[in-house]
Amino acid sequence: MQNTKMTVKQNMLLKGIVLCIIFIAGCAADHTTLPESFVNAAQQSTHTNNWAVLVDASRFWFNYRHVANVLSIYRSVKRLGIPDSQIILMIADDMACNARNPRPGQVYNNANQHINVYGDDVEVDYRGYEVTVENFVRLLTGRTQNGTARSKKLLSDAGSNVLIYLTGHGGDGFLKFQDSEEITSQELADGIQQMWEKKRYNELFFMVDTCQAASLYEKFTSPNVLAVASSLVGEDSLSHHVDPSIGVYMIDRYTYYALEFLEKVQPFSKRTIGEFLQVCPKRVCISTVGVRKDLYRRDPHKVPITDFFGAIRPTRVSTERINVTLANEEDFVNDVANVQPKKEFKIIMEPQFTAELLK
Amino acid sequence: MLSALSTFLPPLLLLLLWTPLTPTAHGHQPDEQFHEELVVRPLAGDHVNTYFQFTTRWHYGDRNNLFHTQLTPRVIAEILQTYDVKELHISLTQGLWRYESWGYPIVDATGGAELWAWFSASNLTNDAVNKQWMQLANVFSGVLCSSLNFVDNTNSIAPRHIFRPQFMHHAGENGKQFVRYATLPREIVCTENLTPWKKLLPCGSASGLATLLNSGFVHNTKYHSLGVKVRTLCDHDDDNNCIVELTQTANLVYDLKLLEQSNTDFSLRRLFGMGLNGYCELATSSRIYAQRSEQGERFQLVPPPAFNVSSIRGGHRVSYGVYDIQQQFEAAAPDATRLFNIAWIGEKSAGGGRRLAVSALNLPPLYAHRYLLGNGQKRGRIATEIRNTHYEDLPVVLLELVPWYVHAYLHTLRIRNKAQQRREYATDVNDELPFKLLHYAPGKQRELPTHLEIGFVLPAKSSAMITIEVDYLLLKWLEYPPDANHGHYIGAAVISTQLPMGRNYSALPPEAHLFKDSFNASRPSYTLTLRTEALIVSLPTPDFSMPYNVICLACTVVALAFGPIHSVATKLMIVERQTTMPRNLLRKLIHKLKSRWGSKKEEATSVQETATDEKQQQQHEEKEAEQQESVICNEQKQANM
Repeated sequence: MQNTKMTVKQNMLLKGIVLCIIFIAGCAADHTTLPESFVNAAQQSTHTNNWAVLVDASRFWFNYRHVANVLSIYRSVKRLGIPDSQIILMIADDMACNARNPRPGQVYNNANQHINVYGDDVEVDYRGYEVTVENFVRLLTGRTQNGTARSKKLLSDAGSNVLIYLTGHGGDGFLKFQDSEEITSQELADGIQQMWEKKRYNELFFMVDTCQAASLYEKFTSPNVLAVASSLVGEDSLSHHVDPSIGVYMIDRYTYYALEFLEKVQPFSKRTIGEFLQVCPKRVCISTVGVRKDLYRRDPHKVPITDFFGAIRPTRVSTERINVTLANEEDFVNDVANVQPKKEFKIIMEPQFTAELLK
Repeated sequence: MLSALSTFLPPLLLLLLWTPLTPTAHGHQPDEQFHEELVVRPLAGDHVNTYFQFTTRWHYGDRNNLFHTQLTPRVIAEILQTYDVKELHISLTQGLWRYESWGYPIVDATGGAELWAWFSASNLTNDAVNKQWMQLANVFSGVLCSSLNFVDNTNSIAPRHIFRPQFMHHAGENGKQFVRYATLPREIVCTENLTPWKKLLPCGSASGLATLLNSGFVHNTKYHSLGVKVRTLCDHDDDNNCIVELTQTANLVYDLKLLEQSNTDFSLRRLFGMGLNGYCELATSSRIYAQRSEQGERFQLVPPPAFNVSSIRGGHRVSYGVYDIQQQFEAAAPDATRLFNIAWIGEKSAGGGRRLAVSALNLPPLYAHRYLLGNGQKRGRIATEIRNTHYEDLPVVLLELVPWYVHAYLHTLRIRNKAQQRREYATDVNDELPFKLLHYAPGKQRELPTHLEIGFVLPAKSSAMITIEVDYLLLKWLEYPPDANHGHYIGAAVISTQLPMGRNYSALPPEAHLFKDSFNASRPSYTLTLRTEALIVSLPTPDFSMPYNVICLACTVVALAFGPIHSVATKLMIVERQTTMPRNLLRKLIHKLKSRWGSKKEEATSVQETATDEKQQQQHEEKEAEQQESVICNEQKQANM
C-alpha cells in the first residue's frame, strides 16, 4: 500500500519536473525563435504626431488646485514642443482672472510662486460651461457638432500619440464634471474603444489625478493604452499645500511631483515613461500611484517620455543637392511694380443715426 | 528631402514677399497697410486710459485676390469668402466703463462678449443669415478662444434701428441687408483671449506696440476691452474694387492707486511693465498720442513729444503730444538697446505738493444706468435711467435684449420723465414721454429672446426712467448651469443718440479708420453709442441636493423611530432592587439561596395577583425578546429565572 503511494507521488513529481523543463525549454526556444528585428520593432515608437487632451473638470474657486494641475501639464507639453493647435485644453472655470485672485492673469503651482503655470501665452479651447461630459466624449470620438471651430477638434489619426490628462473630483468609477454631472469609467472606456476603432490614436497615455483614480482605467479594453492614476480604488488623492494669500490649496500632490519631474525634462532628454511612472512614491504622494500596463505592448522603461509629452516632426537630413524651382526675385519685384494702383474711391457712409426718429 | 527644405522655405518666401512692400520702394501707396496707434489719456480720479488700435487696411480689389493674404490674417480673408458678412464687431470686455467720471470711450463695449454683424448679398434669405451667423460665431469662438459658440437663435436678435451699416457695397447689388446682434454677459476675458488676439497682428507680439500688452499688466486694470472690427468697403460703381479693414482695439483703464505708487506720475514702463522695444517693421505708421490737458498742463512729458497736434472737433478742443516711434528708433544709434519709455510727471502745484488730481470732467451730455426693481424670485422690473445734461433735447434709441428665461410685458412699458432738479419721477400717466419708435418682438420660451427697441426725444436737462415688468421663469432641471445660484444675466441695454457737439466725444468718424482721422473731424452731429450695466437676476433655483437630503433625513427618521418602538413593543421593563453581595463565602451562599427563594416567592405572589393566561402570555413574550435581543443583561435573565 505504502509502496504504491510512494510510487504515485514519485511519478507525479517526476512528471512535474519533466513538464517544467519542457516549459522552460519551450519558453527559451520561443525567445530565440522571435526575430530580433521584430522584438526591437515592437519597442520602437511608431507615431507620427502628438496630441494632448487636458481636462480640468472642476468649477469654483476652491478647486483652484485642479486648474493648477491641468495647467502644469499644459505648460510641460507646450514647453516640450506640442503646438497649441494640437493641445485641447478644457478648463471649467477661470482662476487666473477670477476676482478672488490677488495676482490677476497668473496661476502658480507653489505658494512661493515658483512657476506661473498659466504663463503669458495660453490658449484655452473649451472653457466655463463648455466643459461638459458631452463635449468631452464628442471631442474624443470626433463627433463634434457641425460648425465647431478647428481648434476645438481632436484631429488625430492612426499615427497620433495622444495624451489624455483628467483632473477633478472623482469616486469609484466616475469623475465629476462641474459638480453637476459625471463621466463613468465605462463611458470613458467606450470612448477610447471608439477612438481605437476609428483609428484616432496610435498609442494613448491616460493620466488621471483624482480620488480613486485607478477606477477610471479599470474598464479599458482598447490596445496600446498605458494608464497611470494618482490613487488606487479606495484611496483619496491628496493636495500638496495651501497658499494663505489665496486661501485655497495650490496643487495636488501627484501633479506637483509630476511637474517637478517634467521641469527637468528637455526635448531631447533620455528620460523614459518608466521613470515618469515612479515620480510619486507613496512616501510623498500618501496615495498609491496606480499603473496599468497590460494593454501596452512596449516596455515603459524603453519609451522616451517625449513620445507623449513632446512632439515630433519627421525630418530627413540630406547631403545631396536638391532642385527646387523657385520664382525669381525679379518676378516678385516686377509683379509688384506692374500692379496698377487700385482706383481710389470716396467713402460715404449712411447716416449713423436712425432717420425715422429725426423726422 | 523636401520636408527638410520646407522648414526653410516659408521664411525665404516671406522675405521675398515682404521686401517690395515697404512704402519707400514705390511711388504709390501700397495696397495693404498696417498702422499701430496708442492713445494715452489721463482720466479723473487717478485713472489712465490707454487705447491701442491696430489697423490693417487692404485694398484687395477683386474677390479672387482674397486667396493671397499678406498682412491681413488668413481667417479674415476666409470668412469674407465663405460668408456674406460685410461688417463684424466683436468685443470681449471685463469691467465697466464709468461714463460719468471718465467721459466717453473711443470704442464702446459691454461687459462680457458682444458681437454684431451685417450680412448682405443678392438672394440672401433670413434663414441663410441665421445659419451663417452661428457659423461665424463658431469660427471666432475658435479664433479668439472664447465661448462665442453659445450664440444661437435663443440669444440673437436683428436690431431694427440702433445699428446702422458702416460698410459700403456695390450700388447695383440690390441685396437686402441683415444685421444680427448677441451678447454673452457671462463671458470671462483673460490671457487666453489676449494671446490669440495678438496672433492676428502682422507682427504678433514680437515687436511693436503689441509688446506692451503683457497679460500681467492687462488684467490688473479696472477695465479692459479687446475688440475686433472687420468691414468691407466696395466702390459703388465697381464691385471688383474693394477694401477690407481690420481694426483691433485694446482699451484699458489703469487705476494708478493700484499700481502702488505715492503720486500720480506714471510711465509706459509703470503701466505695462516694460518699455517699448521698437516698432513693427511691417507697419506703415507707428505712433503714440499723449493727450494733453485742455485747462493748463498737468503733466510734463519726458521725453517731450516730437510734435503737438491740436484738434477742434465740434467746438471741443483737445491737444495731443505725438511720438513717431519709427522716427524715434531710426534716429537712435543702431546699436542702442534701451527700451523707449515715456513718463508723465505731474507739474508741481503752488503748494509744493506732488499730488495733483486730474479734475473730474464735466458730466457727459448723456449717460445711463440700469437696475432691477422689485423683490422676490417671481417677478421684477427692469429700470433704465437715461440722463440728459445737455441744454438741448436729444433723440434717444434704446435697445433691450431680454433673454427668454425672463418674460417681459410690453403693456407695462413706461417712460417717465423728470427735470434735473426734481427728485421724484412723475407718476401721472399723462406726463410720460411719448414713443417715437417702437419695435417689439416678443420672446418665446427656449426659442427667442424678447427684442425691444424704443425711440423717444429726451427733453433738455432731464432724465427718463424706462421700466418694464418681467416675470422670472422656473427652468427645467437640466437648464440650470452648474453654478445656478450665481444668477442669470440680462445683457446690457444699448443706447444711441445724436449729439450736436463734440464734448467728451472721441470716437472715430464712421468713414475713417485711424485715430488721427478723428482730429478736426467736425460734423454737424455725432452719433454716440453707449451701454448700460448688465443685470444679474436670481431665478427661482431649486435646491439640487434636495432629493439626497430627503433620502438622508427620511432614513434617519425611520431609523430613529424604529429602534425605540421596536424595543418598547418587544421588551419587558423590570425594576430590580440593588443588592450588595457579601464578601464572606458562607454568607454569599446564604445570600444566593435567599435571593433564589425570594424570587420564587415573588413569582408565586405574581401568580396569585394576575390572571393565569395573562402570565403565560407575558412569559411567552419574554422568551421571544430573549431570542431576538442579544443585549439583554444578566440581571434580567436572573430575574426571569
